[in-house]
Amino acid sequence: MSATIVQNKEYKNKQKVKDNFISAIIGFFAFVWIFPILWTLWTSLRPYNDIISYGVFSWPRHLNLDNYFQAFRVMGLTKYFVNTLYVMVPSVILILFLGSLIAFVVSRYSFRFNLTLLLFFTAGNMLPTIATYIPVFWLYIKIGDLFGNRSLLYNNYFGIILIHVAFQVGFATFVLSSYMKTVPKEISESAILDGCSVFRHYWNVMLPLLRPPLAALGVLMSCWIYNDFFWALILMSEDSKRPVTSALRQLQGQYVTDFNLLAAGASIVAAPTIILFLVLRKQFVSGLTLGATKG
Amino acid sequence: MSDVNNGISRRSVLKGAAIGGAGLVAGGSLLAGCGKKQVTGDVHFTIRGNLSDAGAKIAIAANDAYTAKTGNKVISQAVNSDDFQNNFVQILQGTPDDAFGWMAGWRTNARADAGLLADVSDQVKALGSSLSAAAIQGATNPSDGKQYIIPTTYYPWGLHYRKSTMQELGLNPESIATWDDLIKLCEATQKKGLVGYALGDKGGWEAMGTFDILNMRLNGYQFHIDLLNGKEKWTDAKVVEVFNHMGQLAPYMNKNVLDISWDGMRDLLLQKKCGAMMMGSWFANDFKAKSQEDYDDLWIVPFPEINPEHGIDSIDAPLDGISVAANGKNVEGGADLAGFLGSKEGIDAAVAAGDTSIYISSDFDTSTYDAFNKQKLEVLGAAKNIGFFLDRDTRGDFAGPVVGPAIQSFLKNPKDLTKILDSTQAQWDALPAL
Amino acid sequence: MKTAAVDRNVRSRRSLSRNDRFTLSTFVGIPTLLQVVFLWGPTLITVALSFTYWNGINVSDIKWAGLANYKNIFFGSPVFYDALKNNVVWLLWFTFIATPLGILLAYQFDRKIKGHQIYETIFYIPVVLSLAIIGIIWNFMLQPGGFLQGVMGRDIGNAISIWGNYDINSYVIMALASWRHIGYIMLLYLAGLKAFDSSLREASAIDGATEWQTFRKIIFPTMRPVNVIILVITIIDSLRAFDLVYIIYGTSTAWPLLNILAFQNFAGQGISMKGAAYSVIALVLCVVPILVYLRNVFKEDLN
Repeated sequence: MSATIVQNKEYKNKQKVKDNFISAIIGFFAFVWIFPILWTLWTSLRPYNDIISYGVFSWPRHLNLDNYFQAFRVMGLTKYFVNTLYVMVPSVILILFLGSLIAFVVSRYSFRFNLTLLLFFTAGNMLPTIATYIPVFWLYIKIGDLFGNRSLLYNNYFGIILIHVAFQVGFATFVLSSYMKTVPKEISESAILDGCSVFRHYWNVMLPLLRPPLAALGVLMSCWIYNDFFWALILMSEDSKRPVTSALRQLQGQYVTDFNLLAAGASIVAAPTIILFLVLRKQFVSGLTLGATKG
Repeated sequence: MSDVNNGISRRSVLKGAAIGGAGLVAGGSLLAGCGKKQVTGDVHFTIRGNLSDAGAKIAIAANDAYTAKTGNKVISQAVNSDDFQNNFVQILQGTPDDAFGWMAGWRTNARADAGLLADVSDQVKALGSSLSAAAIQGATNPSDGKQYIIPTTYYPWGLHYRKSTMQELGLNPESIATWDDLIKLCEATQKKGLVGYALGDKGGWEAMGTFDILNMRLNGYQFHIDLLNGKEKWTDAKVVEVFNHMGQLAPYMNKNVLDISWDGMRDLLLQKKCGAMMMGSWFANDFKAKSQEDYDDLWIVPFPEINPEHGIDSIDAPLDGISVAANGKNVEGGADLAGFLGSKEGIDAAVAAGDTSIYISSDFDTSTYDAFNKQKLEVLGAAKNIGFFLDRDTRGDFAGPVVGPAIQSFLKNPKDLTKILDSTQAQWDALPAL
Repeated sequence: MKTAAVDRNVRSRRSLSRNDRFTLSTFVGIPTLLQVVFLWGPTLITVALSFTYWNGINVSDIKWAGLANYKNIFFGSPVFYDALKNNVVWLLWFTFIATPLGILLAYQFDRKIKGHQIYETIFYIPVVLSLAIIGIIWNFMLQPGGFLQGVMGRDIGNAISIWGNYDINSYVIMALASWRHIGYIMLLYLAGLKAFDSSLREASAIDGATEWQTFRKIIFPTMRPVNVIILVITIIDSLRAFDLVYIIYGTSTAWPLLNILAFQNFAGQGISMKGAAYSVIALVLCVVPILVYLRNVFKEDLN
């Protein structure tokens, strides 16, 4: 007996040394990992004149937030951030709402098409989007023509929102339906017995129970939609309407030699998602968990 | 495989403007006066590039002059040039701006045939004799004889270099008369630690300039145009010869050819790190924006003769201009603005804002040209035959997706030349009829 | 009593009222309509168009082409095979290097080694960044005048060629893609591990097995459902790769990928339905992984 305990202790000590070693190695790689971001931040804190006079690697003589103020002023970031909100907020709300509708029907009512629906929604989320770019454009123009207004969908926030919703609602459906499977059937049964209409069943009974996955999904979706730059680049011909990540392409060309300004601008644009992640980490993780490994 | 006939009609584009262009032509341009309906309303204009570019500031100045004259507001936006070109067909079908800077040749004519561009023949007529017959021909769509672009600027593709660098090296590029001379120049430049022949082909199109000029020098203008129209084969020994010559230049190129784009080439010249650079002169505005000194240091000579049969009788001289979108909100306004920008007042405003481009309109007084521009005219004048550049002289679905990668592949692996040419020809053969 | 029980049974099996039917139809109908019109519809249109000749402008110009576009791609476009090669490189790298690294990291962090919370955050941050920003950040590192070049003492004139140097550019691109992918896999696996029964691990530890043996023989096999998901996500992300290379090279196919070729031909300056054909090829390659994913995730429902 005592021999085993001693062996355990020895083993544990050896393991601890190994672990510290592992931690150190990973720590080194973590530093390498985050270095590019640190370098960008560093570049953004140095005034332009410093770099011009003394070179990029010089010891800093001044460090200040000038570049940030200038970035806001010169790059028109406020306008682009507002555009991002125009796109992001309605998209996320719609995705969560529509996804919950399907998930609700599919998990609470047994119809024959339930599984097929789920399969299609989940698969839709995984298709390569390049295949759909031109047809979506034509659709938008044709639908616009139907209503007599070409920019009903094209070059319009509404169009971008619609495409985001169409492409992400599958994931929301999948996550929410997996989660709903864990909600006891008795709750629904008693609601039906109480004479709830389908709508009240959904709105008053299920929806409140869905707060955790909705929060998780909301966080994830906000992050993904915020980060997308491609659709707005394609579907919006007016640069002033584009969300901030798409505008970065234009800004990058414009300020290609103003490293510091560009660094500050990039840091500003990167900040929201990083902060979101740091603050709402639990939601992030649970959203991904539900989405990948099925509850 | 349809024919692209633009080339032949451009044979004498420059004769009128370049050689005979000095001095004002009396009664040059009739503008929107005299019984023509006054156009009102806001006009939207797209500037290809970034707002910080020298070109953008010039465009805005010219637009402001239009506003001052007509009272119509011009709302300009800058769009990344690559994105604009890549999404051009979509943008024009959607909600395009009314007018924008564009390029004559296939890109205008094919889109006009598809109904995406507005007919501006009236505006061209209104510009009267300020545009030579050749200029109008260059802007005309051969399929219906109308114009869909108001021609404004053009420029030669030639060997650019800095006078100061050449002086330091004790070399005189003006004395290059043959291929061997060029090679010797590159060698000498290389020995002094600079890049002999600067090239950056990351964008896929930059090296077409070298290809074009080598083809025109070795095999003549007619062969070049015929090749681009599918009448000659890429597997022809003549084409192999072109690539062989490109291969001879390769040792003198910068090592990171596939890493940098045209702006990298320009920077190599700007920072005095290279000798010769084969490019169109449109980048000169960037030099001027950097400093007058840099601009004054810039010089251009025609690519030397290789085959005495053809001499230096051909050159790439792309024609740019202003086009109007057929689906814009204010087509008339766009056409009016385009006409203005091609007229004397528009040109004057642009030049006053620092434009160093050569305008094809004879309304522009070439006697006020600075030395560099005069040299450009000389280079242009020496040529009889004008090409518009490979990606404007042939089909868009061949130039970018096929020829671009083919040249890049060659620069990567010169030994694969036969394979590359075989596949290029195969892909031309497989193109659907337009 | 009996009546109530009968009532209950009757009610739970009752047919739905008209209102309810309407609500259900709307609930299902609207999202499905959206998906069909804006996702599946366009996909099918692309598939259909891949069999035609068209320049993308006037619908009246569409001509039937049969398999011509595909023949052109397979037999006449060497750049296609370059793109396939790059996609395969992407796939292999992700499958054998990036994903395993992510899994390994997840395992170490799950064991709560020192500093694991900070590490988790650091490794995951690239995942929450937009690719537009990642492009800018890495430009600062790699471009002429950037960090790497500066450290090697090279200025703009003699900067080391990275994007155009075909000996190293694939590795650089893969490293950039991994920068993001590893963190993503790490977090997924970590979440999966948390559901894992830790007493099993303790038991094997006391038995004298090393950590590596524990992982290999007990944890990894038990995580099989998660492993499959992770593998499928890895494969699909390799086949969908586009954004990063678009940011670096534009559409110039200097380092081609299937989706870059699709975009260059489908959009761009010379639109041809070859682009549709490329998209269909990418789609077809994704079909098997997607099916495996669906089968795995909906295992219970399907049986």
